[in-house]
Amino acid sequence: MIQKKICLLGSSNVGKTSLVKQFVEGIFNEKYLTTIGVKIDKKVVVFENEQVKLMVWDIEGSDRYNPFQEKYLRGCSGYIVVSDRTRSSSLSEAVEIHMLARKVIDCPVILAVNKYDLPATWNWNDDGLQDHHNLFDEVFDTSAKSGENVENIFLKLVELMLKD
Amino acid sequence: MTTLLNNIINSFEQVVLEVVDTKEDIFRLVAGDCNWCKGLFPFTISHESFLICEDSPFLKDFLIDAKLIWSDTHNARIKSGFWTEVTDDGVELHLEAIAIKQNQQNLLVVSNQSEEFRLRQNTLQSARELVLFNDQLLERNEYFQVRLLTILKNPTEKNSVSTLVEIIEKAGFAVLIVDSDLITTVSNSAAETLFDQISSSVEEFEKPIDIIIKLLKDQLPEYERIMSTKSSWEGELCWMSPPATLKWLKVSLYPVKNEFNEVTNWIVFANDISNIKYLVQRNEQLAFQDMLTELPNRLSFWQALEKQVMLGKPFYLLYIDINNFRRHNEFFGHDEGDKLLIELGNRIKNSIKETDIIGRVGGDEFAVILTQIDNQEDCEKAVEYILNSTQMPFSTCQSASFNVSVSIGAANFPLNANNAEELMKFVDLSTYNGKGNIKNSLQFYSQRIKDESHHLITIEHDLKSAIKNEEFDLFLQPIVNLKDNKVMKAEALLRWCHPEKGMISPAEFIPVAEKSELIITIGKWVIARSCYLAQQLSKMGHEIKITMNLSPVQVLDENLYSYLYKCIKDYDVVPSLLELEVTEGILVDDYTKVENLLNKVRSLGLSVSVDDFGTGYSSLSHLKKLPLDFLKIDRAFVKDIANDDNDKAIVKAVIAMAHNLNLGVIAEGVETQDQLDFLTEHYCDSVQGYLFSKPVNFDAFVALLKELN
Repeated sequence: MIQKKICLLGSSNVGKTSLVKQFVEGIFNEKYLTTIGVKIDKKVVVFENEQVKLMVWDIEGSDRYNPFQEKYLRGCSGYIVVSDRTRSSSLSEAVEIHMLARKVIDCPVILAVNKYDLPATWNWNDDGLQDHHNLFDEVFDTSAKSGENVENIFLKLVELMLKD
Repeated sequence: MTTLLNNIINSFEQVVLEVVDTKEDIFRLVAGDCNWCKGLFPFTISHESFLICEDSPFLKDFLIDAKLIWSDTHNARIKSGFWTEVTDDGVELHLEAIAIKQNQQNLLVVSNQSEEFRLRQNTLQSARELVLFNDQLLERNEYFQVRLLTILKNPTEKNSVSTLVEIIEKAGFAVLIVDSDLITTVSNSAAETLFDQISSSVEEFEKPIDIIIKLLKDQLPEYERIMSTKSSWEGELCWMSPPATLKWLKVSLYPVKNEFNEVTNWIVFANDISNIKYLVQRNEQLAFQDMLTELPNRLSFWQALEKQVMLGKPFYLLYIDINNFRRHNEFFGHDEGDKLLIELGNRIKNSIKETDIIGRVGGDEFAVILTQIDNQEDCEKAVEYILNSTQMPFSTCQSASFNVSVSIGAANFPLNANNAEELMKFVDLSTYNGKGNIKNSLQFYSQRIKDESHHLITIEHDLKSAIKNEEFDLFLQPIVNLKDNKVMKAEALLRWCHPEKGMISPAEFIPVAEKSELIITIGKWVIARSCYLAQQLSKMGHEIKITMNLSPVQVLDENLYSYLYKCIKDYDVVPSLLELEVTEGILVDDYTKVENLLNKVRSLGLSVSVDDFGTGYSSLSHLKKLPLDFLKIDRAFVKDIANDDNDKAIVKAVIAMAHNLNLGVIAEGVETQDQLDFLTEHYCDSVQGYLFSKPVNFDAFVALLKELN
């Protein structure tokens, strides 16, 4: 079976763990519990009749308490950068994290603009998002709560990784 | 021994493995056999060698780093960081691995860090929620502050009260707009909700603004200074109203000023941060720590200051404010601003003694208690250490290097005050007194500072009247062209004739005007009046150029060019009859802005001269690139030109350099024939000074023209 390591990156509290939980277990929990360090989940998906085992590395959010740690990207075949549409700064932070990751690894990357079930923040700028589109292979609006596009981001990443 | 070791290792919730084969990732159990260990490494039960495989991907990945340690010959260790592993029976383990090289032995220690993990998770949970809340608060405040200020400063029919109401209703936090007497003109429903006093009768009901003002007066020693100097402020206040109200508020005050530097309105924001305070109180470290710099916060510093006062031992209190921090933030962005605050805080902390106490007491303000210093001389030495560290260059994430300067106020306990509140009030005032400098400054609190502060307020008050009552006049001092000895232009010099005090020196009132931004209004008057005088002279048949001085504050005013253009049109004056004088300092400090402005005014037809040349540090490369026409040699170099060889050399060099750059040279302060002879001999283009005439009023100048030309 093909095995692929994928990483979830982004600032803290954007919903990385919730996306993984929804993807792996189909569960959403309203309560925010900050991730410490790394948690790895496994899930087997089928792409074009082929089974792919995903090792999903949910990495603690980057912020002033936890700077971006490139070492966790070692051996990664693709990554998802998560931002939060209720907090516009999380988008620029996502771009910044993506740029740092790009320095050490060149692989498919998806931007997930999470919390689609909530209204965008008052200063959310769709044009700003448009400017960043070309930095990513794909951009998805996601909701870990409703499950919207959650499966799709992982499957799309699998597709991109296998083509890569 | 083995059992004992095993028990000890188990009590530490650890498992110790020895590397059997580094290439194949084969290990052997040395000690530790608690239950979680069996779940993680099932093969350890048989005590045989086993392989760490892909089932534990994190650990497998860590082995790559570990091998670097194990392949080394020296003793060393490396940690993996926390990771969470779920065993086959569904147990969640929070682990950390340490790879060790010890006396040629390669070991791998895996620890169950569940306790440490939860502790860290709890702390970071609170900290991250706080950071998020604060960041969102800051972002929202800044957005609404800018929007409201724009509307309040440029009231039009479109920007009516109803527009304000509509905007502030969307804010999602309490917004009050009050007039200069602190009477509410507009407020939103969030303000009503926040300051709801359910149990109060109609008579007892207090207006939100009255509550805020009362809290400010009671809890903020800087309140009087903030109001009298019309400064912005933001911070936390605690509102207690028995029996049931206890709210923590984050309050921001922003003044809206008119052209006379008078406050027309205050914008007041209030956010309920009680939940955040609760969150903070759950974690003692956070309650007393500034989240950004990790230094003690204002609350913690206050407690330390009060404790220090209680001890009764003399000490010095310092208040350190970063000059032009707002401009730094605007230029480099908030992230860089945060980075500067962290770095500066660290530098100050590292330059004081361990027994001293530091805190971040405001946005860009730090305070220090020099606990063992009881005299001014030692305090100056301690401040020198601080300044030595703060004046080293800082760098941005993009490695751009920059410098900052600070204003420091100092007060002594018990000489200046014997309680914490007054000490804070006095150091705040001393710091404010030193501000406006672009250089580092240290001001000790004294009666003089108190008097000066009062004097400044009086002058500012009088200046406003002077503008309204037209007490200013422009005097003209002729500038003589040495080629034909005729007056070619005149410098316009501002004079203030006070109705009671008589003539007040510009040296006395210009700095006050600059500090209060009244200089913009006064500067506009100078521009209009200069245009008028040039037009009048032209009508009389005198084609005399009027040169007007621009203050650095004026040069940075966005509306300067459009105002200048309007005056030229209104007075129908030929632009070549006007000249702008800028000081050398501004060329260095705000090069890009100045370059843009000067290019624009020169394309209009005005000429530009650099005033007080030689006193600043403008580089030759700047002078080459900037659109300039004349250099004015400062009077300080002209004074001893007849006798002092150094001054002679400097003036000769400046004239030669200016001519090389195709700039004309004007010497200021020419008072004697000897000075004039020297300047003529060395091809200076023009001169100005008492030898020809002191500055005179318009009529006297016209008479002078008839005589000299």
